[in-house]
Amino acid sequence: MAGPLYAADPPGSVASADLEGLTALFHARSGTTHILAPPAPQILRALAAGPADAGEIAARLADAFDLAGEEDAEAAISARLAELEAAGLVWRQSRSGSGQPPG
Amino acid sequence: MGIVRDGMSDVKQDEGGSAGAFVPSRRTVLALGAVAASTVVTVRPAFAQTAGSVLNCEIPVPSPDKVGNYIASDGTLVPPGTPGAFAPAPRPLTGEEVRVLMNHGPTPAGIDPDAAQAYLNYIRRLQAGTSGFTCFASLQMPR
Repeated sequence: MAGPLYAADPPGSVASADLEGLTALFHARSGTTHILAPPAPQILRALAAGPADAGEIAARLADAFDLAGEEDAEAAISARLAELEAAGLVWRQSRSGSGQPPG
Repeated sequence: MGIVRDGMSDVKQDEGGSAGAFVPSRRTVLALGAVAASTVVTVRPAFAQTAGSVLNCEIPVPSPDKVGNYIASDGTLVPPGTPGAFAPAPRPLTGEEVRVLMNHGPTPAGIDPDAAQAYLNYIRRLQAGTSGFTCFASLQMPR
């Protein structure tokens, strides 16, 4: 059974800066700033291609990276998604695909 | 922590000890980290409220200027009666109720669980200047 589908704001809606391994990200829509450690920024970029569940995100990341701890990729990504969701940077989307983020 | 410098970059720092040198690499290693590790920290904005006010602040769903609209499961506002969408919340949700929902806790009293998830998705999309935004933003602040 596929896991929850997650979506994120397009990369153009956030401003980010590299901080020697960390990423400072200003989320304009919420007006909040976040400090992200890998792989959170990479997950957000993977979601730029469209909503996906943890398995699909793992596949997208594997296209660009060699994943360390690959056997636990989905579990690790699910944990990262939960954090990103709590921070308001991603949200769950129905699989019907109805609706788009406002503004 | 991970050793990626930046996103989907194809450039990896040389691990062989040549200080400051960057060598081209087709593949970059991305460490996904332990499940229990934390990778997101939210910086407290200047308008953050106190913990006490977070418990008591309220978030109308939808905001008063959009009253009457239904809330789709993804949190978008849709015309009243839209199939699969939910009627507005019967009362404003308190900050504490939303905080509990965000942590996958129990649904507030009198709120249908599926509707509550739609309300939460609506709240996550609140923008600055929208009723309830400051309350929601303060919920995201680390304690």
